[in-house]
Amino acid sequence: MKCPKCARPVDHEAESCYSCGYSELEAATRHGANIVSLNRVHDAAYCLRKQERDDLNDTLDQLEMLFPQMLFCAYLGTLPEGLSLSELGFWLLNHGQVRGAEYARPNENAILVVMDMNSKQIGVSLGYFAETIIGEEDAYRALLFARPNLLNAEYGEAISLIFTRLGRTLKRKGKKLRKLTHEELKKQTSGNWGNVLDIPPHLAPKLPGMDESSRLKSA
Amino acid sequence: MRLFPTLLILTVAPGLVLAAKVEMPAWSEASDAGSYHLGGGLWPGGLVPEAPEEETETELADAAKENAPAKFYGPQGAVDGETPETELAATSRGGAEGEVGAVEEVIEEEPVPEPLPALEGDLADLYFEHPPIEFLLDPQRLLTEQKSNDIKRFLEFHSDEAEFNIYVMVLGETQTIPKDVNLRELHHEWFSENPTVLMVYYREQPEMTELVVNDSVRTSLPKSVFERIRQNCLREGAATDDAPDQVEKMAIELSIQLYWLGRLLEHENKDERERVAETSLQDLPASADAPELLREYAPGIFLSESKATVSLLVVGVVALGTLVVVGLTGWMIFWWRDRNNLAGRPLIFPNFEIVSRLGGEFSGGTYIGMSFDIGEGSS
Repeated sequence: MKCPKCARPVDHEAESCYSCGYSELEAATRHGANIVSLNRVHDAAYCLRKQERDDLNDTLDQLEMLFPQMLFCAYLGTLPEGLSLSELGFWLLNHGQVRGAEYARPNENAILVVMDMNSKQIGVSLGYFAETIIGEEDAYRALLFARPNLLNAEYGEAISLIFTRLGRTLKRKGKKLRKLTHEELKKQTSGNWGNVLDIPPHLAPKLPGMDESSRLKSA
Repeated sequence: MRLFPTLLILTVAPGLVLAAKVEMPAWSEASDAGSYHLGGGLWPGGLVPEAPEEETETELADAAKENAPAKFYGPQGAVDGETPETELAATSRGGAEGEVGAVEEVIEEEPVPEPLPALEGDLADLYFEHPPIEFLLDPQRLLTEQKSNDIKRFLEFHSDEAEFNIYVMVLGETQTIPKDVNLRELHHEWFSENPTVLMVYYREQPEMTELVVNDSVRTSLPKSVFERIRQNCLREGAATDDAPDQVEKMAIELSIQLYWLGRLLEHENKDERERVAETSLQDLPASADAPELLREYAPGIFLSESKATVSLLVVGVVALGTLVVVGLTGWMIFWWRDRNNLAGRPLIFPNFEIVSRLGGEFSGGTYIGMSFDIGEGSS
């Protein structure tokens, strides 16, 4: 996990970024603390044709049928200077309200695809629940999968492909999770953060009588 | 007083001596003088100083040339009851030229062989009374001994290796098969159990050679096949003038032809037989092209080669097909797994314990981005 503003690693329980001090409060201060209403496919940049939008909605319908807990939404806009997509995704997931989303699809289960037509950037913002299922590598592969369509300005199809690939990941991970026992699941969901800061272990000298795990703990 | 008689004797005696004549014996006939050889023939004529007159020798040499006998291929040594068949007589022309003791030329002087007797009586029995023990039947010893042995060894080797046995019967060029002898019946009587070819060869007359094969073999194949085999054998035999060489070459050629004949018989079928019957006899080379010759008749003979080619082709096709199938299967599996299938039963995830981060209620700011601007990478 990284800070949406400075992209530095942050702890999973950090109240603010250790590096830049960024938090939801700062985001609310800058972009507003109110709740905004969003469409499931919010095309603020008006770059999607009706056909593309319809096709994308069909894909999202299928995904929502397959994953009743998950929320799939997309935001396409032209961002002003000084606003990054990561910050926008962070703010939208915490302050946005997707129209038509039932109570069973809270924002923490959301997979939000954000795209900036100015900077030609596209990204995926994940809620807390979604990030436990979809890893960064899976999301990046989904983005790469749609890159040819993005280069050809086929944005609707590209976003559809991204959601489809993420849906495959959800399906695969969901099947694995269903096979886990309760203890394994609890262990995986609660204590599977590992080295959340992505900091390599300190190379402390190995003392006699100390095994590798204790050496790493001491480090 | 004594001097006078002495002088008289010395004067008259020589005259008396010179006047005296010696009576020499006279030849009873004048012609015997020329036929006498000094030395009794123990020495070559050139070594004898008193050689006969040139005119007589020339006449003898011409007569010897005119009476030169036909080539004789019989045994060289003397046989009991026979006269030596070759005799060397030397005549010297050096004597006439004044070089005493020099042998310049030796003229081969062979006796004129007696005309071959007709095949009848005991001689006919030697040929036709009993089945031959050896593969070469030459009771008259018309071939040289060395060549006969060579041919026998070859025929024995052939009989060990080949399906068909070859028996060669050597007759004189003037001899004929007796009328009461039927070679086919004889062949049937002798060789009905084993496939055998009886080759009747007439000395120095290869064109008269007869080939007799088993009835079963003869009826199973068109006549043109055997005619072609015979033509090839005759062609080989005509390549030389010596009877032993002719027999040897024809036997070798017949051996080769019989090898292909054996393969032809193995693959003979009705369709091929009809096709062969329609094929006209053509003048084709002999053994060197025997496979080509029989390829025309029986392509099935070469089925092994074509089978090998076909099998290689089949293996290649099967291998290629297998690769295609495997590749297609892999592609299908990959496509099946990679397809964007969103159908299926709804999937419910278990509830996780959520811990907020950076003060966010629903999201902690997890973001994965990428640039799709040309020339830029991901962020």
